[in-house]
Amino acid sequence: MTDPILEVRDLQTHFFTADGVVRAVDGVSFEVYEEEIVGIVGESGAGKSVAAASIMRLVEDPGEVVGGEVSFKGEPIVEFEETEAGTRRPTDAMLSNREMRERIRGREIAIIFQDPMESLNPVFTVGGQLREFIEINRDVGESEAREIAVEMLREVGIPEPRERLDDYPHQFSGGMRQRVLIAMALSCEPSLIIADEPTTALDVTVEGQILEQVADLQEKYGTSFIWVTHDLGVVAEICDRVNVMYLGQMAEQAAVDALFHDTRHPYTDALLDSLPRPDRTVEELRPIAGVMPEAINPPSGCRFHTRCPDAREVCRQVNPDARDVSESDERPHRAACLKHEDVFHEDYWSSPPIDNETDSGFAVGRTDAGGSGDE
Amino acid sequence: MGIYRYTIRRLLQAIPVMLGVITITFFLANAIPGDPVQILLGPSPSQSEIAAIRARYGLNQPLWQRYINYVLGVLQGDLGRSIFYGERVTAKIAERMGPTLLLMSSSYAFAILTAIPLGVISAKRRNKPTDHASRLVSLVGVSTPSFWIGLMFILVFSFHLQVLPSTNLVMPWANPTEIRSAATRLDVLVMSARHLVMPMVSLGTLQMAALTRIERSSMLEVLSEEYVQLARAYGVTESTILRKHAFRNAQLPIITILGLQLTSLIGGAVLIETVFQINGMGKLIVNSIFRQDYPLIMGTTIVFGVVFVVGVIVTDLSYAYIDPRVTYDEVD
Repeated sequence: MTDPILEVRDLQTHFFTADGVVRAVDGVSFEVYEEEIVGIVGESGAGKSVAAASIMRLVEDPGEVVGGEVSFKGEPIVEFEETEAGTRRPTDAMLSNREMRERIRGREIAIIFQDPMESLNPVFTVGGQLREFIEINRDVGESEAREIAVEMLREVGIPEPRERLDDYPHQFSGGMRQRVLIAMALSCEPSLIIADEPTTALDVTVEGQILEQVADLQEKYGTSFIWVTHDLGVVAEICDRVNVMYLGQMAEQAAVDALFHDTRHPYTDALLDSLPRPDRTVEELRPIAGVMPEAINPPSGCRFHTRCPDAREVCRQVNPDARDVSESDERPHRAACLKHEDVFHEDYWSSPPIDNETDSGFAVGRTDAGGSGDE
Repeated sequence: MGIYRYTIRRLLQAIPVMLGVITITFFLANAIPGDPVQILLGPSPSQSEIAAIRARYGLNQPLWQRYINYVLGVLQGDLGRSIFYGERVTAKIAERMGPTLLLMSSSYAFAILTAIPLGVISAKRRNKPTDHASRLVSLVGVSTPSFWIGLMFILVFSFHLQVLPSTNLVMPWANPTEIRSAATRLDVLVMSARHLVMPMVSLGTLQMAALTRIERSSMLEVLSEEYVQLARAYGVTESTILRKHAFRNAQLPIITILGLQLTSLIGGAVLIETVFQINGMGKLIVNSIFRQDYPLIMGTTIVFGVVFVVGVIVTDLSYAYIDPRVTYDEVD
């Protein structure tokens, strides 16, 4: 396999709030290879969107990327070094804000946001917005940018694209706006597109059409995608590999088939049990007990142990990183669970179990929403 | 076109509003204790003189009769004659309207031209020293009465430093030959500007302060919008984001406030004209109340009412110009 185009190592993004430090992303590693669609899955508040924004260095105040590495085609987007005082500071080689703006954003990595209603500027025409971004990132003139825009709108399935260039965003439906945003991303010809829950706000039929279209276009243009979602159904449909995130950390990382059919982490198991699946018939779906704890004060040890049906005492103490637990050498299948004793070498099976069994998803750890930093 | 129909509809809707203004002002003015004729004629007038004047202005009729006559007059464009001046109210207002409009529009211009850059910079450098300074300026501006600013200006710039004139406003359109020490049009303009600067700043400070705060919060709100974040994600520079992607969207609240602030501007004009001895509508309305000059009180109030109503309509119309989502095609 070739080198990945994007490598994320131990990424840490924290939010410094009045109530304390929210560790929205706390040591996340993954990679994206050329021409693949990589999913990042997790519940709300898992840190998926923050991880995505960190790659673009677009985390807003009071959030800050405080550690780890992100390298894109060998260029250091995020890179830290230790100072003599023991603190971390960005290295000199790390791309400057200007370099990020001029060389990476839009040109190499484009993004599609969740809410198509909020992502387009209401006071400018759709064509004007497309043209501006194309001009910036493709170094073309106005008329050529216009042609590219028309062509790309046609590609994503907008009827009469030339006429619609002069329309304002409010004259488009939600699904059409999301197509515009996909066209926007593709028309800048980036190597990587980060799609941050792009179909979550759409109804299911529109979602289906758009996913199909994206899969086709991805094949045609050979663009890599990071597909952020909370929906494993979407993952099954579109992704090649998946990263399951829980509370700012990786739970499991595997190829799609392996994740669905050879699940190695209890959290992924729980997620899958909470969904209807075409390949299984069950009496009733099982929601995951409890609510995800807040990232401001995460549980000790394995972060999932408070809700995990397989949790044992040792899980309170040891926070496992995601390690390769695959039995074949084919493709790595990483899981962060002490159950895999041969890999983690902790005494999991001899440790006494923790009783987490509850009937209702609301009985355990119910807290007020918010503060999770996944906005 | 929708926009014309909308305008006409809004103007028609203004008629009952104006009728309300006329009614309330009419009865309020007549409820003031005292007698305008006595004020006009001085301490010991003869009975026949009083009767003659009362008859001339219709003051001998019952109140309801006078009210109906007045409304009928207004409908025909007749605002009556001033009791004190003896002139037609419309003529008197036409004479005094110029200075007030000049004062109000220059104050607005001053407020807009200072508040918008201040607000934008404040938002861009949120919680930095520039922001704190601009917020302090607007806080002080909002809480300082305009007449006090005017008096302080006079004290400092006219009395102590003697650099700016405090009275006798020269209108920019005045004829150079009629003004001493002015030979050309340019001289007149310079004089006018020197006269105008203190009243303009005094009256405009409140507006400036209020607008700065709105501009700041409005810009901050827009800057946190997802489409701004998207522009950033596509490599648009911060200055272009500020100038293009955020600025226009942030101006809607400013326009709303500009329309509504007309009332405080009119109220402020009354004070500022008194402080700087400007013969405008503000002084006219105050003096007419002191003299119980009913027709003049009514006339000036109606004119201010119309100014406000038209201002609000213009505000509403300008939304459509800025925001394409606003249309006036099917309003009900």
